[in-house]
Parts: sequence; C-alpha cells; structure tokens
Amino acid sequence: MRRKRIWSGALLTAGAAVILLPMLVMLVWVFTERWAWPALWPQTFSLRAVREVLHRTGQLAGVLASSVGISLAVAALSVLIGLMTARAIVLYDFPGRGAAVFFTSLPLMVPVTVFAMGVQVTFIRLGLNNTVHGVIIAHLLYSLPYAVYLLTDGTRALGVGLEEQARVLGASGLCAFRKVTLPLLTPVLLAAFSMAYIVSFSQYFLTLLLGGGQVKTFTMVMVPYLQGGERNIASVYSAIFLAVTFLLLVLFEKLARRWMRHGGGNFYG
Amino acid sequence: MKKLMALALACLMVLLASCGGGKTAGDPLADKDVADMSFEEMKQAARGTTVTFYGWGGDELLNQWLDDVFAPRMKEKYDITMERVPMDIDQVLSQLSGEIQAGEQDGSIDMIWINGENFQSAKENGMLYGPFADRLPSFQDYIDVSSEDVTLDFAYPIEGYEAPYGKAQMVLIADTAVTPDLPHDTDELMQFVKDHPGKVTYPALPDFTGSVFVRNVIYDICGYEQFLDMEPDKQTVKAAIEPALEYLRQLNPYLWNEGRTFPESSTAVDNMFADGELVLNMTYEAYSPTVKIENGTYTPTTQTFQFDKGTIGNTNFMAIAANSGNKAGAMVAINEMMTPEVQADRYRVLKVLPVVDYEKLSDGQKAAFDAVELGAGSIPQDELLAKRLPEMPAELVPVIEQIWLEEVVGK
Repeated sequence: MRRKRIWSGALLTAGAAVILLPMLVMLVWVFTERWAWPALWPQTFSLRAVREVLHRTGQLAGVLASSVGISLAVAALSVLIGLMTARAIVLYDFPGRGAAVFFTSLPLMVPVTVFAMGVQVTFIRLGLNNTVHGVIIAHLLYSLPYAVYLLTDGTRALGVGLEEQARVLGASGLCAFRKVTLPLLTPVLLAAFSMAYIVSFSQYFLTLLLGGGQVKTFTMVMVPYLQGGERNIASVYSAIFLAVTFLLLVLFEKLARRWMRHGGGNFYG
Repeated sequence: MKKLMALALACLMVLLASCGGGKTAGDPLADKDVADMSFEEMKQAARGTTVTFYGWGGDELLNQWLDDVFAPRMKEKYDITMERVPMDIDQVLSQLSGEIQAGEQDGSIDMIWINGENFQSAKENGMLYGPFADRLPSFQDYIDVSSEDVTLDFAYPIEGYEAPYGKAQMVLIADTAVTPDLPHDTDELMQFVKDHPGKVTYPALPDFTGSVFVRNVIYDICGYEQFLDMEPDKQTVKAAIEPALEYLRQLNPYLWNEGRTFPESSTAVDNMFADGELVLNMTYEAYSPTVKIENGTYTPTTQTFQFDKGTIGNTNFMAIAANSGNKAGAMVAINEMMTPEVQADRYRVLKVLPVVDYEKLSDGQKAAFDAVELGAGSIPQDELLAKRLPEMPAELVPVIEQIWLEEVVGK
C-alpha cells in the first residue's frame, strides 16, 4: 500500500515537472535576450519583448476580446448542438444512427489543413470567407466532435431512469430535462464547453485561411513570432495565452458550481 | 440555466452584430477605371479606403515600423488606412488562388510582399495585377528602372508586375571571439568546418536562406555565369553543379548531426547560433545582425563577412493581387514605399538596403542616407554591393533544391 503511494507520488511529481518546467523556462525567456550554451542562467536580460508587446496593448486588447468572443460562441454552440446530438444518439433509435455517429467524428480524422483548403472555395461561394460567423462555423466543425463524445458518454452514464421517474411523478418533458437531467449533466457540460473553447481558442490554420487574415484572433498575432524564432516575444504571447485560458477555465468552473448549487440542484427539496 | 443561456445568446448577438463591419470597404471604381486613372486620380479614389498588406510577419522590428511609421504616414498624407496581415507567402498565394477560383471580384488581398519563384508562379497563373510599376511617380523618379535588380526577379522578367521594396544580400555571421579566422571561400570553409566539428550547419532546403547558401557554394566552386541562361532541366543542372555537390557531401561528416539532418529553418539556425550551439550563421538581411548585436541577442564581437568572390543578392518586391478590391490605394501605398524619405527611414531603422538609385537623389535626400550609422559587425555598403552576385533563374531554384535532397542529405 505504502509502496503504491510512493509510486503514484513520484509519477505525479514527474508529470507535474514535465508540464511545469517548460512553463518556468518560458517565463524566464520573457525577460531573456541571450541564453547561450553552456550557461545555466541567461547572460543578457532585457525588457525588450515585454516593452514591444506592451506597446501593442490597445490592439491586443481588441484582438483578445474578439478571440474570446469567437471561442465562447463556438463553445456555447458546441454544447447546444452536442447535447442534442448526444441525446439523439443515446436515447433514440433512428435509421442512420451509425452514420450519424461516424460523421460527427469525421473532422477528427481529416487533417485541418486538408479540410481548410477544401472548404475555402465553398466558403467563398457562400460569402462566408473573411467573416466572423464563417470562422465560428469552421471552428464549430472541429470542436463539435469533442463535445459530442463527452456528452454522449455523460448521457449514456446518466441513463433515462431519473428523467422517467420525474415524468412518472407528473413533471412535463421539458421540466424533467431542466430540473433533473441538466443539473446532473453539468460537470460533463462544463468539460465539453471548456474543451470546445480550447479547441477554438488555439485554432490557427483554419482561422488564417477562412478568416483570410481579416478575422483577427490571438493565435493569428502569436504564431508568426513562434515561426519567426523570436523566442522572447513568443514567450510573452504564450504567457498571455496561458493566463487568459486559465482564468477563463476557472471562471467557467465557478459559474457551473454556482449554477449547480442555486439553479437546478434543488430537486430533492 | 437561464443565466447561462442568456450569456451564450448575448455573446452570439454581439458577434453577429460585429460581423457586418468586418469587411474592408472596397473602392467603388471598377478595374477599368483604375487602368485609366492618372496617379492624382488614384490618390483621390483611394481617399478614406483601407489597403491590406499581406506578408511574412515574423520580424517584430519591421511589424512595428509598418504599424507605427508607415501606417500613420499613409493616414496623414492620403487618408488611407493600412492594414498589415502577417501571413507566410504560401498561405497568401493559396488564399488568393482560392478567392480567384471562386470568382471573388472584391478580393481581401491588396498588396503582397513577394519575390522569386513565388512571383513567377503567381504571375504565370494570372494572380497578379499589372503592369503597374511604371505608372508610379516614385518608380520613375528615384529608381534605376533599367538595372537588373529592378527588371529581373531571380532572372525572371518583372514587366511591371512588381515594384521594389528592399534589397537583400546574403552574408555569413560568426563571433570573432569564438572563431577569429573567418572563411572567405569554400576551401577555407572546409577547414573551418573541420576545426569546429558538429558546430556548423545550414538550414534544410527549400528554406530561403539555406537555399541561397547552397547556391553561393555552387557559385564559388562552379562560377555563376553559366547558370544565368541554363535550362531548368534536372540532368543539365546536376551535371553543372556536380563539383559543388561533391564538396557538400564532403562537408557532411563534420556538420551538426553529421549532416544526416539539417535544421528546418533559418530561424532555427539563427537561434542555435545565438545559443552558442553553432559557430557559423547566415542571413539574407545583410544588416540585421547589427540590430541583434544592439539588442544583446548576439555578442558584441559578432561580425558579418562575405566570400571573396561575392555573395548572392536579390531584391524583394511588392505586388498587387489580380482581384484586389482597392488597386488604386495599393498603388498609392507602393508609390509611397519607394520615396527617398521612406527608403531612408527603412535604411536607418530597419537597416534594409534601399532600392532607390543614389545618383537620382537630391543632395538633401542623399544626406539622409549618408547619415545612417550601420553599427557594429556590418560590412560597409559599397564593399557589400561590390561583391554582389546575381540570383539564378527562378526555375533553377526548385531543381537545385530537389537535387540537394536526393544527392546531399545524409550522403
């Protein structure tokens, strides 16, 4: 028993180190101009990268706002469509159900670049290229599979027993769904929402090609520095990326907890 | 739940409302009108419009200059809003070809930063607007329109489909504190590499910089004249460059990772050099190392140098998309970019070699260029340009890149 605990502790530490150490190095790079081998510590520090990013605060705030807005919309739509799809797949039998399951996971199998190039011409014909809603639809296609997977599993695990119980006790279909199923599914909804949000927020190529550079998201500003090898500037952007994502995920969780406690969790009362 | 739904709906509405304003207002004048306009009329037509400028966005100094110097200047002088879109040229061309295929008339791409084989393929596929360069006053007044730097792009005739933006020339970079003896030809380079095994390499082709390094080695060993009118036939090219291929293969065992693999990009090599992992670096931007020395990325003892027989130089250009929604605005912006004031400022701030012809400038304009301090580690401009070799024809470049992959890597 004790040996097992030591092992799991060591594994956990190793796992945390693998994730945290590169993040620490990245934070050092924010202030580093030159860090040559074999020194353990940077030779030249500078605030150049921070200054250059701060210099763009106004522009960055706008880009961040639109980026977060796009990703929130994608996440909300993913959860909405994902929940309906999941319920259809789990609770109902209809012709073509297998095909529906297959097609929802298709975007995971087709590489983004291939998909983006193929869909670009269609988007232009439909007038969806270089527009915010076009980008949202494109992101949606890639975040939906995750939402559908998570929500299908959640719906399957929950089953229909409790909802049927509520119906037997006289609740309407909508009421039973709202008061019983939704609160119980909240953790899964949160997971699906967060996952869809992250998929959308970190999307680069799709936004680039279908947004045509006119729809500006955070990755559109960040990736050129990663590709251009400007390590300190790229580190500043990555730190902002991490901070914003982290804060928003915490916020989602807080909101979900609160809603579980106050909104619908009182079906025993 | 209601709150959540309301939040989601609110998000959606805000987004949908903001969609309407996303698109650049196109110029109401049709293409035919632009073709007939005088430059004054173009300025008039472009007033209040937005011009998008697509190009590589990995150079923060250049980005800032475009945003903080050039864009305000355009706004103030011509009431044109410049919108810089950072995008690699492959993606720009793929987006452009998508738009053109779909029949988009009011395209999102106006100005493009381009040169070499990308220009050739874009022009041959009808993706560029032109000829336009000779309609611009700056082009006529300040640029030596007959020089091969301006009429040819990688030996491919430009015919007015591009206007010059800046000049580039390959230089080698090393830290004289680490390696006091710098190699000035391929023989010395062989010795240099043997003296520093595992600490020299070059970016894997088809990286621009890796590609020009290999062409420079070819020039040093095989001479350059024979390539200027060579057919892009693989057998012919291979026979001509065989001595250089043999040289590169002999170099391999002493290179980084024993030449089995090469770093994927010039930026990777650049970072490896800054980190002290490599002792030799190379760049197309002859004066950019100076900026890096000032920033502290490179040591103060870093020095740029050339082969005695010279290094390859080329010009990079601005073009206009065939389906640009604002051709008049793009031409006004391109014209402004070629003015002596702007070129001098680019030379001073970005250390980009100017495209204007010094002899065509007034004394005051000349003074602006003369006043520029090139800074530590740089080669004086007259010396650099005296050892400037022309690029090969654009079609030879991919052929050589292919041969390098087959005959040099890991051999």
